[in-house]
Amino acid sequence: MIANRLRLFLLACLIVVNALPLSAQNQVAKMPQLVYKDRTLPNGLRVLSVIDHSSPTVAIQVWYHVGSKDDPTSRSGFAHLFEHIMFKSTKNMKSEMMDRLTEDVGGFNNAFTADDVTVYFEVVPSNYLETLIWAEGDRLSGLNVDDPNFKSERDVVKEEYRQRVLAPPYGMFAYLLQQKSFSAHPYKRPGIGSTEDLDAATLKDVQDFHATYYRPDNATFVIVGDFEQQQLDAWVDKYLMPIVKPNRPLPRVQVKEPARTAEARITEYGRNDLPAVGLTFLTPRQADSDSEPLRIAETILSSGESSRLYHALVYDQQMAAEVDASADLREDVSLFVLTAILSEGKKPEDAERSLLAEIKKLQDQPVTLAELEKAKNQLITDQLEQRETSNGKALALGEAAVLLGDPSRVNTDLARLQAVTAGDVQRVMKKYFAESNRLVLYFLPEASKRGPSGDNQQEMQKEEN
Amino acid sequence: MKKILRSFLSVIVVVLPSTILAQTPQATPPPPASPRSGTFPKPAERVLPNGLRVIVVPRSSTPLVSATLLIKNGSEVDPPELSGLADMTASLLTKGTSSRNAVQIAQEIESLGGDLDSGARWDSSTVTVGLMSSKIGPAMTILADVVRRPTFTVEEIERLRKQYTDDITLALGDPGSIARFVAARVVFGDSPYGHPIAGTAESLKRITRDDIVKLHERFYRPDNAIPVIGGDITTASGFEIATRHFGDWKKPATPLPALSATTRTESKGGRVVVIDKPDAGQAAAYLSRIGIDRKDEDFFRGIVTNSVLSGYSGRLNQEIRVKRGLSYGAASTLDARRDVGPFVASAQTKNESGAQVAELLLGEINRLVTGPPVDSELTPRKAVLIGNFSRNLETVGGLVTQVASLALNGLSLDEINRYIPNVQAITTADVQKFASTKLDAKTSNIIIVGNAKLFLPALEKQFKNIEVIPVDQLDLNTALLRKKQQQ
Repeated sequence: MIANRLRLFLLACLIVVNALPLSAQNQVAKMPQLVYKDRTLPNGLRVLSVIDHSSPTVAIQVWYHVGSKDDPTSRSGFAHLFEHIMFKSTKNMKSEMMDRLTEDVGGFNNAFTADDVTVYFEVVPSNYLETLIWAEGDRLSGLNVDDPNFKSERDVVKEEYRQRVLAPPYGMFAYLLQQKSFSAHPYKRPGIGSTEDLDAATLKDVQDFHATYYRPDNATFVIVGDFEQQQLDAWVDKYLMPIVKPNRPLPRVQVKEPARTAEARITEYGRNDLPAVGLTFLTPRQADSDSEPLRIAETILSSGESSRLYHALVYDQQMAAEVDASADLREDVSLFVLTAILSEGKKPEDAERSLLAEIKKLQDQPVTLAELEKAKNQLITDQLEQRETSNGKALALGEAAVLLGDPSRVNTDLARLQAVTAGDVQRVMKKYFAESNRLVLYFLPEASKRGPSGDNQQEMQKEEN
Repeated sequence: MKKILRSFLSVIVVVLPSTILAQTPQATPPPPASPRSGTFPKPAERVLPNGLRVIVVPRSSTPLVSATLLIKNGSEVDPPELSGLADMTASLLTKGTSSRNAVQIAQEIESLGGDLDSGARWDSSTVTVGLMSSKIGPAMTILADVVRRPTFTVEEIERLRKQYTDDITLALGDPGSIARFVAARVVFGDSPYGHPIAGTAESLKRITRDDIVKLHERFYRPDNAIPVIGGDITTASGFEIATRHFGDWKKPATPLPALSATTRTESKGGRVVVIDKPDAGQAAAYLSRIGIDRKDEDFFRGIVTNSVLSGYSGRLNQEIRVKRGLSYGAASTLDARRDVGPFVASAQTKNESGAQVAELLLGEINRLVTGPPVDSELTPRKAVLIGNFSRNLETVGGLVTQVASLALNGLSLDEINRYIPNVQAITTADVQKFASTKLDAKTSNIIIVGNAKLFLPALEKQFKNIEVIPVDQLDLNTALLRKKQQQ
């Protein structure tokens, strides 16, 4: 509904690993390969480019390898706030000039902050490509934000927090699921942050963060669309190559999330009218080879009305109004999340039992070949749909390069998914879905708690302030 | 711009890395090169002997096809006491046919990698599938089956009724959704566009199988239907596949039901409605009023005017978000329907600033007349519209949706290639004229949903006759919006 530029922020690690080409088993779709040029400049900046003349537009993305997990101490939400500030005054651009160079000429811009990366993107008429390479180079070179602009944008982010977390009845449920699922790793701080930490942020924090993470050797440009290679290379040389790489080391999160040793059970209360239940399990980092069977399991559990969770909990038992399963893949350690919003009059204990029963079935019996084939067809279709636009192609390529560390994965990941067997799915279900690796969160209506003493209104207020 | 820099470049490559001197190659943006143009595919159409109008839009850039079967009536035909009927009917299509039950339909279509969605909206009901082009044959078999031979079993009706009821409970927990429901009632009163498409808790209880079967009989017929197939498919095979699945669909002997002449009451506007939801985490502030219909000669004036207000750099978001930090985003829509649809401007904000945001929404509507845009403001806002339109047509699904919408409104399909010049022709005088004749602030309504005690005192300084309705007293079944007092 609202706002063109959703400075997209995701409570969970964004983006599913999508990938391309032909599989041995499924030859149905002609999967076009993404033919890309991969170039790393002496200052460490990487440029990936794909020529596609099908429309007179071009997508420009800049992936910075810094995300919400890199929020400074006592500054949760900072990477995301910073992303907003990048649209304010930069070295040579006035506030909102990025909008003048994109929106005003018929293009658009946006950005998102995930736990592991921050991505800025524009789609513009292709005759503006040089202008945008200059502009992205300029804000990589330095920011020049004043206090009124900083504070006003911080207010916008606080409204974003209210709109995503406080206003929707299950916003806090998603927030808590992430927060409670990690004990040590900074993933435990949801990237939208807290009002308190946002209020504590200063202009100095902004300059420090830029100096620390916004440097050429931490940036990957992805350019897809209507251009000539030689010309692009010349513009890259002119505008990006001169940007200096600092001599300081790039800090990286070193904290390891310890393995879970016993089931954790948590009950929280919110503004929701229908109870919700969430289960999370720790799973390996995104680059692990178990990610593919986990994605197939996710699809079998939750993609479409023939999926196992929908069929069992929504259709058959009429236990839930909504169900979901998500292989929430992250760079350091991942989560597998199952959720159900209950139907009127149903008990969370019963919904939990039903979710666990579906997990157990996947552990006890291999999935059928038909189910496996269905999941693979669904994933191919998703991938084709993602790659209909140049912006979608750039997202796929950027993800392969930055999060998987290898741009060629954009053309090989589909084969990896196609190679997953029923045995692989059963194996990962047994390996990661043990009781000792389980967190159970009940998110119940505040009204159900309000007893004769009923003084919990105060607690709710505290969360808001 | 083609190859100015090549010889110069090799020098840069060798010399520059990590010298501070070279850090800023230039302080002003390089100007754009000359623009390149693009074209959109041309839809082809044919009317079969049974009255079915078939439209095919080929484009082979990606191996995907999208197909939609459009019925030219939707939620506007819901009887007043049965709101939700058309949407439930459309949703039930995929829940069982004479040869497939709900589970089999989902299994079959999803095994092809596709999704089959059905539902009603204003003026139309649709069944849509999107998937790999190699799978379109079997997918169309299922799509035709659900449109032509649904069984509407009692078991599936009860199941869906329960799901719809849960969905209403979920929607009523969200201030933005409540505001949308209330805004429609305030503008359209008890006329058809005023009710919630998915019904109310009360109306859902009244819908019977007989109501559903009758609605399907009346409106789901070949002379009231348009299949639109687009993407990686030839015109010839598109027509062939539509004829194979729908050619023998019999047109009933009875004439198509006549549409009621008007679907609205004249709204005088000027209502200020507050829905008090004390636990709301944010307030939703809405301005809503009568807009235009899709065939209005002012359509392009209207959408350009709306673009001055809406979008990231539109006036609403500039004033509310960018200048004041009051919201994550403010926007407006001019929803031109077969009959006159609404104009809605909205933003969510902290409860304390609900009244201020409402005042800003009204102020910006006024300012279109008192401070109309000059060319330097209007030109970029037209570029925004043209860019959005072109990008929507980049996906097969977007292309089919756009063509289906032209067909539904009885407009020439060629209009997709006339949209850009039509937008470009609009002048600042057109915008001012549209704003003064069609978007008068005095006949607009204000709706705020949130924790009223935090914004009501400020609102009372701006408006008289504020209707304050506690959320548990809200009744979306009538324009009064308030439950009858218990005896």
